[in-house]
Amino acid sequence: MRLVAWVLGVWLATLTPPATRSPYADPWPSPSSLAARAGSPSLAGPWRAALDLAGGALPFTLELAKGRDRWTGALCNGRVCQPLSAVSVRADSVLLEIADYDATIQARLTGDSLAGVYRNVGNRGPRVIPFRATRGRWPVTHTPTWLAGRWDATFFSDFGSSPRVFELRDGPQGLEGTMISNTGDYGHFAGRVEGDSLTLAHFDGAFVYLLTGARHGDTLRGVFHAGLRTQTPWIAVRSTGAPHLKTPTEITSADTSAPFRFAFPDLDGRMVTERDPRFRGKVVLVDIFGSWCPTCHDAAPELVRLYRKYHDRGLEIVGLAYEVTGDTAIDARQVRRYRRKFGISFPLLLAGINDTEAAAATLPQLRGFTSFPTTVFLGRDGRVRRVHAGFYGPAMGAQHERMIREFEREVERLLAEGRS
Amino acid sequence: MTAARYAAALVILGAAGASDLAAQATPIAPDAAGERAEYVAWLTTAPTSPLAAIAQQSIGTGLRLGPPDADVPLDGVAEQRVTQQGGAVTLTAAGGRRPIGRGVPVRLADYTLTAEGPAGRAVLTVFGPRHRGKPPLYYEQQRSLVFVGDLLPPEARGTVRVLGVDGVEVDAAEAGSVLVPVGGERVRLRVRRLPTAGGEESELEIFFRDGTNGRGTYPAGRFVPLLPERDGRYRLDFNRARNPFCAYSSAYPCPAPWRGNTITAPVEAGERYAGSGLRLPSPGPEATPETR
Repeated sequence: MRLVAWVLGVWLATLTPPATRSPYADPWPSPSSLAARAGSPSLAGPWRAALDLAGGALPFTLELAKGRDRWTGALCNGRVCQPLSAVSVRADSVLLEIADYDATIQARLTGDSLAGVYRNVGNRGPRVIPFRATRGRWPVTHTPTWLAGRWDATFFSDFGSSPRVFELRDGPQGLEGTMISNTGDYGHFAGRVEGDSLTLAHFDGAFVYLLTGARHGDTLRGVFHAGLRTQTPWIAVRSTGAPHLKTPTEITSADTSAPFRFAFPDLDGRMVTERDPRFRGKVVLVDIFGSWCPTCHDAAPELVRLYRKYHDRGLEIVGLAYEVTGDTAIDARQVRRYRRKFGISFPLLLAGINDTEAAAATLPQLRGFTSFPTTVFLGRDGRVRRVHAGFYGPAMGAQHERMIREFEREVERLLAEGRS
Repeated sequence: MTAARYAAALVILGAAGASDLAAQATPIAPDAAGERAEYVAWLTTAPTSPLAAIAQQSIGTGLRLGPPDADVPLDGVAEQRVTQQGGAVTLTAAGGRRPIGRGVPVRLADYTLTAEGPAGRAVLTVFGPRHRGKPPLYYEQQRSLVFVGDLLPPEARGTVRVLGVDGVEVDAAEAGSVLVPVGGERVRLRVRRLPTAGGEESELEIFFRDGTNGRGTYPAGRFVPLLPERDGRYRLDFNRARNPFCAYSSAYPCPAPWRGNTITAPVEAGERYAGSGLRLPSPGPEATPETR
């Protein structure tokens, strides 16, 4: 593979001397010369393409077509294709542009093969991955029943282990599916099965993902390749239906057996606790926030509105600020600015730094705290009634409105509890 | 799985200890010259080259771009605002909103913007239309400074906040260390896994100081990647050593040296420095604590 890369490198060096034709600034500066030369071999049709990653080949399909006056093309992962923003053909060379990602594929046609490089203009240096293609399509292999379905996977890396879910099915072009993490999915993957081995790929011009693995008894084991070099081992077992991934609202709960305790200094250094007279017998919303947190800025005006609406009926709010520096003077200045910006009249306390683990340690009665803001609803007895992780801002439209109505209903219910 | 990888002890040729990296007998990796040419081309012409960087700022609770009194004044650009919510970074102007995806440059008049860094701690870098400064200089390729061997497990696992080559703070995982026989001594170099754009990708990196710092190379030290070989071992090729981007533009903050990663001998390989003529006497104990 290194020999191939070297040959490719030498060949490319002769093709595009960097001093005169940089691949980054403007690969082919003269648009008038980009028309296909009469008589040159046609590139039109499907191409069985691959990126040569350090750990194996990432397969995808390249579709090229010649219209009346211009070329078009698409990158396809199975049945899901993404159009290229421009296709330029000059003699036996082709430049495919993926403008959204400032990425290109530059290749030369030799016989029925294309060879070249995929380039992505990165922030830390060029990302260059060898590219090759031959005419035709990847053979379709149907998905065996032992593989189709939902798998609970665990990824192992130097950063620790983390859960993923694979959803695999038999599509019109064979094996397809997606991979999901706690924060979302990775897009459409397509691939094939050979014996006990599977390969699934997703390449859209920016994200370079290859999932390889094999069946070992009732488990799947393999490697997830991201980009040219990153390789993460994984093991998967068939999903039992129990949740494998978690969302912040699912994992944040609280000890309800005793009143919720907190003790932090206010912005003038005075210690404030849940036992202060102002909270006694009141419904209390504990707002865990940070002045650095944009979602908290969305939540603050709503908390101020709730406070104005229900304070006379027995609602108190206290904000626990987890700030950036841990330096009291600097953090207090930031939180004062935040208080002034939103006209906050309820107390704001300096609770710690904005590290979720550190924050969780200061509030041991919360379980699985991961998200800023988190709103804790306390009944008049001081015990936790509800924990709401996150906040849908006004940009979320209907979801925002629904959440505000839920907050109001919850506050009214808790206020009524005290009277009964 | 990771432990299993470390446990796969491999025989090292040569006189070095069983865990040391051994000088590579074969020629320099054949693609190293091609990679260097790509890097120089990127550095001298790419719109997101550090030679074109004019500002790098933490987005925090929001940044204003454009007018003379903005956080980042930009000639001929009407007021824009950059904000982050969760992992998403957005550019907002009177004409509407545009997302700035991680690792996806966004054009703004004559300028280019990129956002990097973890969710909630994103950093905006602004690149101007012109490249300033000189292209990099390199030492001749040194075959004797290419090593292959094992990555030893870390004393303690965990992450530490460090600045990457581009000045962006990241959570780096302690990946272990390598023992390198260089300049007549065996030097243990700490290896960390640094996440790169997109979140899923990462590289094993070593930020090191050596006897050339301030005497031909960048005074603060250089980064060199540790590359996996197909057989489970790793390649340390000092010909791939490169400067942090603060060597090219004062827009970037400079990473603090990593504790202990100092080679007393001169490592005359990789990127040199033709900058401000800064001189440091010798690579002694680090003066600045690590970013934590």
